[in-house]
Amino acid sequence: MKETLRLIIVLTVTAALTGALLALANKLTEEPIQAARRAALLDSLQLVLPDHDNEPDRETVTIDIGEQQHTFYPARRDGEFAGAAFTSSAQGYGGSITVMIGVDADDRIHAIRVLNHLETPGLGANITNPNFTGQFAGLDGRHPDRINLVRDHGDIQAVTAATVSSEAVVKAVDQGLKIYLAYRDQISATHGTE
Amino acid sequence: MNAYKELIKGLWRENPIFRMLLGMCPTLAVTTSVQNGLGMGLASTFVLVCANTVIAAIRNLIPGKVRIPCFIIIIAGFVTLVDLLLEGYAYSLHGDLGIFIPLIVVNCMILGRAEAFASKHPIGISIIDGIGMGAGFTLGLVVLGAFRELLGNGTLAGIALGIEQPILMMILPPGGFLALGLLLGLMNHADRYMARRNRRDYPAPPEFDCRHCVICSWGGSRKAADGGKS
Repeated sequence: MKETLRLIIVLTVTAALTGALLALANKLTEEPIQAARRAALLDSLQLVLPDHDNEPDRETVTIDIGEQQHTFYPARRDGEFAGAAFTSSAQGYGGSITVMIGVDADDRIHAIRVLNHLETPGLGANITNPNFTGQFAGLDGRHPDRINLVRDHGDIQAVTAATVSSEAVVKAVDQGLKIYLAYRDQISATHGTE
Repeated sequence: MNAYKELIKGLWRENPIFRMLLGMCPTLAVTTSVQNGLGMGLASTFVLVCANTVIAAIRNLIPGKVRIPCFIIIIAGFVTLVDLLLEGYAYSLHGDLGIFIPLIVVNCMILGRAEAFASKHPIGISIIDGIGMGAGFTLGLVVLGAFRELLGNGTLAGIALGIEQPILMMILPPGGFLALGLLLGLMNHADRYMARRNRRDYPAPPEFDCRHCVICSWGGSRKAADGGKS
């Protein structure tokens, strides 16, 4: 009985102490982690958005469509709407592919960036290559038929030996643009909270 | 006790990867490049040294019956700490290593050192053991990472070496097994060669020797095949 009690006490104390120290560590690292996440997001936004002088990640517009929440990052220059960025996902070969798409005020794609993917290294993973993603720049969001693989009479040359991955990126861009265009007025009109 | 010996044993003689074959999950999964191998190795070393220190310090307070759960709690605590630190200060590495950082908790090398060494030795020598074993683990991951990155991607630590057609498979999962097997073979060969040159017998470590096993005929015929030399 006495021994059992000792076992219980030792385990409880160990767990409680570890827990307390981790709570402290969590508190101390909270700020750097937030900063690192924001830096990564800003890095992507900077890449896909046209020139802007606002803080798109602080003026987001969130639209609920069914169960899903869609977040848009509007870009402004001198107070004028200059474009927006948003993320969109589609199923690739190895898993979900998430793409960030930036459009300018005329609904042309400014740039896209693949944020997350689980494609095969050396094959499907080449969808992150600028040679592939660069093809999207300048395409008009209002003419979605151009945003297709060459095979489907579009303008996008698929990555060699990675048609499924290439198609997934095209699909993600296409779907994201459709949602964006449907809510475009709401996104461009909303002024930031700042 | 010879501190120097405890420090260097992890590099070759008791290398966690190539000799003890511990921690195979991160070994095979993350060694697709030098950078990933180094990051994983350093993260594991940090956890190992911290866990060894704490466990050696409280080794006399922990009753034998609950020692394993206590060790795991301590190890898990340090792993979570590393996870938080990496996310805050090395965001892209954290993204590359992903799920394998939390999985350091179940790395048998760390629990193995806690159980086999830190729980039986004082703090100082346990820290040295942790540093040595961690260095051996890191070395192993970096060597494997370099081998696979070079053959599979044609680069070394991210620097392109102008290899036209790399063997893609080497950075895919099968490549991990192939690279590990080849390096293990090379290491055993080197040991045997050194032993022969110094006119010593090369005794295979008993746990890796298949002579005592009768499942395949190799165990029985081997002695005859090499003239009873080994």
